[in-house]
Amino acid sequence: MNFLNLVMVGGVTAAAIPIIIHLFHKSRFKVVNWGAMHLLAAVVRTNQRRIKIEQLILLAIRCAIPILLALMMARPMWQGAAGLRGDQPTSTVVLLDNSYSMAAGRAGTSNFSLARDETQRLLGGLPRGSETYVFLMGEGAGLLDESTRDISRVTEALDKEGAGYGVARVPAALDFVAGTVGNMTEGPRQVVVLTDFQRLSFPVTEDELLGQALERLKALPFPPGITLWDVGPEVTENVSVESIEFSKLMVGVGQKIQIRANLRNYGETARSDLRVTMKIDGRAEAPSQVALGAKAGGQVLFTHVFDTPGSHVVEIETEGDELKADNSFLASITVRDRLSVLLVDGAPGTTPDDLKGETGFAQIALAPFSAGNVEQADLIQTTVVPVEALTAAQIGEAAVVVLANVAALNDGQLAALELFVQQGGGLLVFTGDRTDPAWWNGAFGSLAPLPMESLAEGLPEGAPAMGIASQRFDHPALGIFNDPANGSLSDVAIKSWFRLKQPAQNTGPGDAVIIARLDSGDPFLVEKSSGEGRVIACATALDSDWSNFPARPSYLPFVQRLCVYLASNIYPPRNLQVGEQLVGFLPAGSAGGIAQLTLPDASTVELAVVGKGERGVAEYAQTRSPGLYTLQTPGGDPIHFVVNADRGESDLAKLTDSEIVALAEAHGLQLVRSAAEFKALDKVRRYGHELWKWLLLALLGLLFVELFLQQKFARGRGKA
Amino acid sequence: MAHVSDFLKPSDLQRISNLQVLARQVVEGFTSGFHRSPHKGYSVQFKQHRQYVPGDEIKHLDWSVFARSDRYYIREYEEETNLRATLILDRSGSMNYAGTSAGGVTKYEYATKLAACLAYMMVHQADGVGLTTFDTAIRSHIPPRSRASHLRVIFDELENGRPGGETDLGDVFHELEAKLHRRGLLIIISDCFGETASFLKALAHFRHARHEILVFQIWDRDELEFPFKSWTQFDCLEQAGAKHLLDPAMLRQTYLENLAAFRDGLVRGCRRHNIDLVPFCTDEPYANALAAYMTRRLGRR
Repeated sequence: MNFLNLVMVGGVTAAAIPIIIHLFHKSRFKVVNWGAMHLLAAVVRTNQRRIKIEQLILLAIRCAIPILLALMMARPMWQGAAGLRGDQPTSTVVLLDNSYSMAAGRAGTSNFSLARDETQRLLGGLPRGSETYVFLMGEGAGLLDESTRDISRVTEALDKEGAGYGVARVPAALDFVAGTVGNMTEGPRQVVVLTDFQRLSFPVTEDELLGQALERLKALPFPPGITLWDVGPEVTENVSVESIEFSKLMVGVGQKIQIRANLRNYGETARSDLRVTMKIDGRAEAPSQVALGAKAGGQVLFTHVFDTPGSHVVEIETEGDELKADNSFLASITVRDRLSVLLVDGAPGTTPDDLKGETGFAQIALAPFSAGNVEQADLIQTTVVPVEALTAAQIGEAAVVVLANVAALNDGQLAALELFVQQGGGLLVFTGDRTDPAWWNGAFGSLAPLPMESLAEGLPEGAPAMGIASQRFDHPALGIFNDPANGSLSDVAIKSWFRLKQPAQNTGPGDAVIIARLDSGDPFLVEKSSGEGRVIACATALDSDWSNFPARPSYLPFVQRLCVYLASNIYPPRNLQVGEQLVGFLPAGSAGGIAQLTLPDASTVELAVVGKGERGVAEYAQTRSPGLYTLQTPGGDPIHFVVNADRGESDLAKLTDSEIVALAEAHGLQLVRSAAEFKALDKVRRYGHELWKWLLLALLGLLFVELFLQQKFARGRGKA
Repeated sequence: MAHVSDFLKPSDLQRISNLQVLARQVVEGFTSGFHRSPHKGYSVQFKQHRQYVPGDEIKHLDWSVFARSDRYYIREYEEETNLRATLILDRSGSMNYAGTSAGGVTKYEYATKLAACLAYMMVHQADGVGLTTFDTAIRSHIPPRSRASHLRVIFDELENGRPGGETDLGDVFHELEAKLHRRGLLIIISDCFGETASFLKALAHFRHARHEILVFQIWDRDELEFPFKSWTQFDCLEQAGAKHLLDPAMLRQTYLENLAAFRDGLVRGCRRHNIDLVPFCTDEPYANALAAYMTRRLGRR
């Protein structure tokens, strides 16, 4: 209960007036020497008790009248327990949806700018000294680092904001601000969620999460009033570039790469000839056209040959629609000049290109054009070295090291190899007749994905050789074999293999992953991450001693994909999701210097390059805004990073009005759709419901009752 | 020494001098002038002869003396009245009430003025008038006389008497009845407060002795209208210590109804015994009230 005119509450003391008057009259009575006492005495005798009671009732009513009058003039407000109070400073947390769906809008005004304006107005209208905090749900971060009482600062910061971020996760946002709300000091607290109620932001599966987040808020010592604010109309028409896929894991200079763009039309209208353009490093290439049905997806295929090595940016762009944020998709691709693969031969032949050597087939498969003297560029450049001649320098120069039928490495070699893998190098290990399980499980144990159990060999004569189990491959290196046109692994016949110990069921990060199995169920290909690099081990041999694999058509893509995969470990990744940390590895010489990072809004930040191991590292964590980030070192080539938001945002479908109402009701939230509604709600919440009308009614009622009772009492005595 | 003018203003005297006090019933006794009497001449007591002087009424000439002495002599009589009126004045405490609207005149003062008026008028007409004052008992009793000097005795008594004590009309009237040897007119000036039944019984007793009874009931306007608004302590005028502190507005209605019942009972009782009950209020000029009553008396005759 609050009073708009608190001073008037003092008027309640006016209740004393009837009592004082009563006492005054009683004390300052007149004395009359009365003659007709026999007439009076009889009246007094019969009525005294009732008169006393009636006088008490009347006195009570008369006392109540000034009390009611004073209360009425004080304009009391009734409010719930969580209500705000008067013009007292408040703690207000605004959850502003700045996911890129908010960039959609009608009549040239984006929903986000509507929401932003409403937020600024809301904050501007807060009582002086109020504490505020604006959380940007799409960005998943606060507008300012902490809550502030300087509203103008918030307003200015808001002016610079725009929509264009990833999915607004309301439960997560509520969870995030729960702590902030709890730490805010100004008395009444409120949380306002401004969102476009995109269906994606309120998935049914997260309803429980939302409930839990709200419960946490409500469980705070001073639970805030929570309001959902439905901002902006629904926009249905939207075409989005969903993703870009590259046909190759790694592309070399002069190699043709296919770039596939997935597009989706979320609108109800079919788009018959949607123009799609590919831009490489901002330079438009040949445009293409695609037809997209209503609510249907489509693909556009581009091919491109990169003629310079280094980091490039591929952008697929469609014609403009209302929501510009998803009209283009960026991807960073790193073009290699050459990919050097070091083949360590544990059982070399007599000549380097002797097919009897352990690595003979692999050498041809990895660089077929060189082997065939064809005028085409091989991405992979192979170097074969017998295991005895392997040096640390050779390892350091290679992108991928292949150990084929190596019995053992000396300590120096092993140490060099371990360092190589730790720093992001790729290691591919094939077994063979020289492989020593003892060494494998011992010195090599830190690199070996799985321990070795025993050699499986000597299949009975006439028995069918062991095959590779047919399966759908999730691994990017073998994904190509999911399409039968690219060859199949199923016709490989294996006679001997090493049994690798099956890993425990629950594999965590860093544990070995079985990429492919044999028909017997034994692991065929296993992968393990080690440091920043990866190790893949194969249970059988690289050459044709234990299998017919080298003679199968799938052998070439198999070894190439594995090598490229291991080498394509562009570490750290250059295609990031919003919020992921951007890490650039720079040459060791740049350590201690400064690298410039150009942000999507063309502004630049300077990053300190820290020396780590044999290279410099530049890190940037504030990748909230999707777009292109370019890291540039003095004298070095630029490295492009692309930060993409979740394309789910492109589905602008909004919850229906009834769903929104149901959502609000289910969680006991207030729902407003306009500034006026919010103002009314805020008024009720801040001041409560005005009660003076009821008090006036009660007052008038009491006046009537007083009059009536006075008459009735007099009449009643008359009858007595 | 009290004088007539202490009680009656000249204007008041002017108003009532033309009025006649007439008995409704014929009072036994000697009569003179226009007073009719069934015992004509019986009550006339011869006093003396005196020489006729011009202006004397011829009918009073003693013709037998004229026959013997050839001189004119007038016969003079001891008494000329046949009306013996007794003013019975209530001197009880309740008569000491002075209301606001009466300008400080107590009911007793009003009653004494009224009594003086009546006494003066009666003596002026050579009627005998007496005065009895009482409260719980008879305090004074002046037998009726018609001499002008008798008025002074009555006036002295009226002036010197002070009200006080309780009213007990019944017992007093029974006591009084024994003192009234001859029937006549009893004019009771009282507020008649007290037990109505006993009062009426006493009046019936008087009526039984064939007295003509006239009751002048003296009211104060306050007693009739109970106009008190603020808290008031009512101290009893008759019984010391009896008091009531109350909000009179709350009780007015009931009081008025109680009052009406009281008056109604009194009026009914008086009518039953053929007694005239005339209420006077102390704020009206008593001469007016008296004149109005006399007019009614005449009209009834």
